Amino acid sequence: MGITLRQAWLETKLFVRGLDNLFWTLAFPMFFVALFGLIYQDTLWEDMGVRAFEYVFPGVVVMAMMVTGIMHTGIGFVEEREKGIYRRLSLTPLQPSAILGGQLLHRYGLILVQTGLLFAIGGLGFGARISGNLGWIWLVVTIGSLCFLSIGFLLAGFVQTARAANGIATAVFFLFLMLGGIFFPSDMMPGFLATVSRALPSTLVNTALREVMIQGRGPAAIWRELAAVGGWFLVSFVVAIKLFRWE
Amino acid sequence: MNAVVAVRQLTKRYGSLSAVDGVSFHVEEGEIFGILGPNGAGKTTTVEMIEGLRRPDSGSVSVLGMDPQTEGRAIKERIGVQLQTATLYDRIRVHEAIDLFAGYYQSAVPTVTLLEEFALVDKADTFVGKLSGGQRQRLALTLAVVNDPSLIFLDEPTTGLDPQARRNMWDIIRSLRKRGKTTVMTTHSMEEAEELCHRVAILDHGKIIALDTPNGLISAANLQSRVEIGAVGEALRKAIEEAGLPATAVHAEGRLILHTTEASDVLTRLAQVAAEQGVALESLTVKKATLEDVFLSLTGRHLRE
Repeated sequence: MGITLRQAWLETKLFVRGLDNLFWTLAFPMFFVALFGLIYQDTLWEDMGVRAFEYVFPGVVVMAMMVTGIMHTGIGFVEEREKGIYRRLSLTPLQPSAILGGQLLHRYGLILVQTGLLFAIGGLGFGARISGNLGWIWLVVTIGSLCFLSIGFLLAGFVQTARAANGIATAVFFLFLMLGGIFFPSDMMPGFLATVSRALPSTLVNTALREVMIQGRGPAAIWRELAAVGGWFLVSFVVAIKLFRWE
Repeated sequence: MNAVVAVRQLTKRYGSLSAVDGVSFHVEEGEIFGILGPNGAGKTTTVEMIEGLRRPDSGSVSVLGMDPQTEGRAIKERIGVQLQTATLYDRIRVHEAIDLFAGYYQSAVPTVTLLEEFALVDKADTFVGKLSGGQRQRLALTLAVVNDPSLIFLDEPTTGLDPQARRNMWDIIRSLRKRGKTTVMTTHSMEEAEELCHRVAILDHGKIIALDTPNGLISAANLQSRVEIGAVGEALRKAIEEAGLPATAVHAEGRLILHTTEASDVLTRLAQVAAEQGVALESLTVKKATLEDVFLSLTGRHLRE
């Protein structure tokens, strides 16, 4: 465990030293929250009885989780693999599980920090009311993170080069974003797309997060979504391990 | 002498290509063992099977008396590896990289000692991404000895370095040997193999075509040395030619070039002839055959193509 924590700390240190990382995973989503805050201001969506900003806000949190979980993980891992870093590490007594565990821990921590910052700017800066229990919010974010992180590693196993990783991770990210009910509700989509949309982990996490953040509901209302996201996590995790390689 | 590495009938195929084809050799304690050959000869694949990175299709490997496929972790505690292509994180500092690797082993050499030994003290706080090629190679070597290994693998340790940095690396590699470490290194530089290695295996198309000390390889190939004398006057030239030396002579632009397999005999007789004529031999040079010539005579090809 000590060595896993040390790997996580190393990854975190290296992450903080990259200004581009800080921008894309922390500043960029905050900029989105601010943008929506400025666009919607006090607009009320009366048929849903909710402030437009509060409705969109959980979606931006999910988007940020996917930037870190899918894009940053998938691309970052393949880049380091391409450089031969893992090949070199595999010639030391370090266990592969420590490298992988360190990566997961680091990126999970990153998502928590990122989510915290978004809540700060959304809540304090633009007055989004957060009705739900913080513990349930944490639960949704955690299960969602595990799912997106596994998908990121799964994609890394599919591709050979960092270029290819960039392409596939970006494609999956946009697919999940567009069909994830984040900017357009699934109900607005035509029949077939709506069905696909409802099954995507982005939609499921987004729905669960909205229920908790806006409606103040607990696990009783979102267990189906959580179970489905858990299913996505398990399947992608198992396949990711199968496809996993150090070089 | 104990065999630190024992390789028997090692084979690795990629599709229809035999990358390594029935290679066998032993590496003895304390020696620098060179694996020499052109790019694509199978050097790296051979070393990677010994390190346990690749699984051989057939044949056996024993490293420090253990099997890399089943006792990999125990072997990794006691070996050090420098890879040809692997880099490190760009944004890690030199001393952090050493600390990091030190943490992976049960025991490690203190970071300060290593920084001093590998002349990296000034660079301790520099990001790895900002190091020069030579500094980067020195760091790779530092990381390879962080656990004070008894066996070190170096994969083309001086490729891409300028001559100064190259000599630096050679000094470091020699100093490691003086501390009793065994080294297995690949290279495609004949000069490097002659400088450093006690024994050299020449690999071509996945097979060992020769294995001996550098001098042994050169004498076994029975190659000619080249003796050259400058400013040779008519009288001296005639006298030399009439002396019946065991050599073929070529005369060009006032220089006399003798090709011979018996250089010492030729030199003694030359000195006699010069003394009889009462002249000095000017700008005399003797060029011994090199491993490069050995490779050429064994394969009919130059090493770098």
